[in-house]
Amino acid sequence: MTQRQALLLVGSPRGIENSTSGRLGGQLLDALERRGLKTQRLHVHEAVRSSQGLETALCAVGTADLMVLSLPLYVDSFPAPVIAFLEHVARSGTSRERAQFALIIQCGFPEKEQNETAIAIARRFASEVGWTWLGAIALGALETYGGSVNDAFDRAAEALAKGEPVPYVPVRTTMPAWLYRLGGNFMWWRVAKKNGTAGRLRAKPYAD
Amino acid sequence: MNAVVLDGFLDETGQDALAALRDALGSARFEVEVIALRTKTIAPCVGCFGCWVKTPGECVIDDEGRDVARSLARADVIVYFTPVTFGGVSSELKKALDRIIPNISPFFAKVQGETHHQKRYAQPPSLIGLGVLPTPDREAEALFKTLVEDNATNLRSPRTAVAVVALDRPDTFKEILHGLVEAVTR
Repeated sequence: MTQRQALLLVGSPRGIENSTSGRLGGQLLDALERRGLKTQRLHVHEAVRSSQGLETALCAVGTADLMVLSLPLYVDSFPAPVIAFLEHVARSGTSRERAQFALIIQCGFPEKEQNETAIAIARRFASEVGWTWLGAIALGALETYGGSVNDAFDRAAEALAKGEPVPYVPVRTTMPAWLYRLGGNFMWWRVAKKNGTAGRLRAKPYAD
Repeated sequence: MNAVVLDGFLDETGQDALAALRDALGSARFEVEVIALRTKTIAPCVGCFGCWVKTPGECVIDDEGRDVARSLARADVIVYFTPVTFGGVSSELKKALDRIIPNISPFFAKVQGETHHQKRYAQPPSLIGLGVLPTPDREAEALFKTLVEDNATNLRSPRTAVAVVALDRPDTFKEILHGLVEAVTR
């Protein structure tokens, strides 16, 4: 039997090594590797920067059985370079028939439900290019660390390795949203203070 | 009042719909600025949050993305004009949208039961979403509407109107586009 191939597409501007998307995607890919899949990692932003990078990436897409796209939510959707890459994939028609597709997405808000529209866009993309949609692991800002996340990734890897949809695993939140907002607001102020910009955080440089 | 149209087409497709949009905005006495994003050099957002904590209100990348953000901050109405792409917006439009987060505040607020960001400017623009498809597609239309409404919540737009036109139905453009403009001006 041919060894199945999984391709991780990291859609964060911070790259594979330095991003939460890369770390989370890597966690899933490691788990798939332990289950016998051959794996490969690609940084989408890097791929769309040059025609050679794009060609290499499309080639990898063309040989993979399972694509896992891992990214941060950007303005309710994907970062622009990821959309550009998906447009290229759709135009190229190079992917395998019945290739499978799953998503890992995390947003900067405590409510993971804010990822839903982006997940629907991913599902629609899969449908347009003829890939089989296997679902998403969606995380809010509070949920990227901790035991329940590890459990979700283990169970997702188990399913994906068999070509089955990502199962629903409840991921525990560790902080109420109001406390996240309070702590987050303090964090912005503290970072700005270090930069010497705390007094200008509400600046309006483009006011008429 | 002024309207800034973000033309997210990758090519000249959709120009008939754009002309009808100009007519509709002109009839409502808008000053119209159309930004053909495909002609603009706008680097991808690098996710550094510098626009919030280093140079508050302005992106740290000095390119035409700043010009777009400035125009949008001063607009009464923003129009997304885009081919509906997997139910969402095109990469050309998105490259601009990813770079307008300096126009909102980093500080969080509870909005409609969810966490979003506070306004930076007292009067954010209203938002029109005009998607274009080759032929009618209900699923893609519904998804596009949801996305634009989500964006309006994040941008804190006071009024939102969304529609999708099909290129094979040019006879419908006028009525749909006048309806869109009316919805954000009444």
